[in-house]
Amino acid sequence: MKMREPKKHYDVLVVGGGIAGQETALNLANLGYKVALVEKDYSIGGKMILLSKVFPTLDCAACITTPKVSETARHPNIDVFTYSEVEGIYKQEKGFRFTLRQKPRYVTEDCTGCQLCEQVCPVVVEDEYQYGLVGRKAIFIPHSIANPRIAAIDIEHCTFCGLCENVCPPKCIDFTQQERVDQVYATAVVLATGYKLFDPTIIRRYGYGKYKNVVTAMQMERQLVPTRPFNNILRPGDGKVPDNIAYVLCTGSRDVTVGNPICSQVCCMYSTKQAQLLMGALPMADVTLYYINIRAFGKGFCEFYQQARAMGVGYVKGKVGRIWEKGNGNLVLRYEDIETGEVAEAEHDLVVLSIGILPNKDYQKLFKNVKVDQDPYSYVKQIDELTSPARTSVDGVFVAGTASGPMDIPDTILSAGAASSETASYLCKVYKEIQPSLS
Amino acid sequence: MARTVDIIKKQRHATGAAKEKLKEYNRMKKAISTALKEGPMTIPQIADKIGEPPDKVLYYLMTMYKFNMVEVDSIDDMDEYYLYRLKQQKNKK
Ligand SMILES: Cc1cc2nc3c(=O)[nH]c(=O)nc-3n(C[C@H](O)[C@H](O)[C@H](O)COP(=O)(O)OP(=O)(O)OC[C@H]3O[C@@H](n4cnc5c(N)ncnc54)[C@H](O)[C@@H]3O)c2cc1C
Ligand code: SF4
Ligand code: SF4
Repeated sequence: MKMREPKKHYDVLVVGGGIAGQETALNLANLGYKVALVEKDYSIGGKMILLSKVFPTLDCAACITTPKVSETARHPNIDVFTYSEVEGIYKQEKGFRFTLRQKPRYVTEDCTGCQLCEQVCPVVVEDEYQYGLVGRKAIFIPHSIANPRIAAIDIEHCTFCGLCENVCPPKCIDFTQQERVDQVYATAVVLATGYKLFDPTIIRRYGYGKYKNVVTAMQMERQLVPTRPFNNILRPGDGKVPDNIAYVLCTGSRDVTVGNPICSQVCCMYSTKQAQLLMGALPMADVTLYYINIRAFGKGFCEFYQQARAMGVGYVKGKVGRIWEKGNGNLVLRYEDIETGEVAEAEHDLVVLSIGILPNKDYQKLFKNVKVDQDPYSYVKQIDELTSPARTSVDGVFVAGTASGPMDIPDTILSAGAASSETASYLCKVYKEIQPSLS
Repeated sequence: MARTVDIIKKQRHATGAAKEKLKEYNRMKKAISTALKEGPMTIPQIADKIGEPPDKVLYYLMTMYKFNMVEVDSIDDMDEYYLYRLKQQKNKK
């Protein structure tokens, strides 16, 4: 397949196609600027497109994201490059030169998303979009609302049996596809590379990975969406419908022993959200949150928390020290009751670890001749946080969303708004200075 | 029509990981299907029957569910475990 041919020059390069990158790209594109949006994953949408509902309104996350995703994909001023990478960004006197690498997915844009290939492919691999709870095929559509909804072949797990190519109606599978590399220019750059999730295997005493009924909150998010991995909410150890679920808040946040001393800002509220959704989905279930402090600082958050309490969600001010498994797959939590100072134990049949948000340090490798400074926690440093929150240490490089620190979706949108307006005013200034040379 | 897979096959071979995943899925699919031919079962029952850990049975059973090979039959008396059955193949008289 011919891959998308990029323009020689864009006004803005946006790195990362999560909600922050899309919002920034759309704002700038609506002002008439030409934007290259580069996403390393197979589709745009970031983490938000995989969420169930959002706190505190309980709006469906997919219903909010998908229109924005389609608008981004269709916008005449935005060129979206998925399964692509940016490398060697070189700052020039005015603007930036960079390498755009489009990697082969071995399926052309003619793919209709019919999924016939998935039916016949004989290889099953852990589905990363269901966070490993279920399998996918070596050829796969990333997830049901992926944009673009085009299959991709995981070439490392392909046996080259050719079955997919035999059945594909529009004949869009092309194993001869090669990567395409271009040199491209942009006047400004926005970093919207988002966050990484804390890996709970690091806290061995919680047993994640070893005890199958200990899951992460992201795995629970997936169980709470209509396109969930199982036929209902089940514990992954043996398929039991859970009826006594525990949440361990601050897993990997506010914890110097794992190198992340700061609050992740969203775990208290997403756990409270999931607890409410679980009580709706499993009316007989008890849900208990073990927390250090509840941080309900945003608009409507405190009311949302109180609503959960009124629904019967249990809140125990307790620091969980250790988790172990019983013969029946149930889990015993040993925790310090912060209110009484005593050590107590409680049994649950499913444990959800409310994992924290960590910096994505990709930005540190993107640039060739300049360095984007990091803050003390390794996020992109906002050099003028109070008056110009999107500015970074490099003139012409801006930051949007969780690339600069943990935040929820409303704050991410605000941050992207700031990034787009700061970028737009930067472009105005630059173009005034160099208009003749660019036109 | 010439297939592009025949071109790539001359240049590279399936990795060990790919072959391993293929084998494991085939083995589990066969074991689970054979067990379910005797009638609807819960995940722990299948696990017992085929001698595999229940989490692994769940993973492969739910993959088969996703690809329309099995369906939910009912839930047990305690409302704890679903029973699953093989999906009736169309046109199979
Ligand atoms: C379990 C859980 C539940 C949550 N629930 C809620 C909720 O209910 N309400 C709420 O407000 N918030 C919630 N959040 C927070 C929410 O996920 C974030 O606020 C939001 O997704 C941040 O968007 P983002 O675009 O900054 O980052 P991301 O979603 O991380 O997007 C970053 C994008 O950039 C891409 N990328 C990264 N590096 C590169 C690179 N080098 N090159 C190209 N592309 C790259 C990534 O693939 C990704 O698509 C939750 C978080 C978690 C973990
Ligand atoms: S050629 Fe590869 S992707 Fe296609 S069906 Fe065979 S194993 Fe799956
Ligand atoms: S690659 Fe072909 S068979 Fe697979 S989803 Fe696309 S059009 Fe359908």
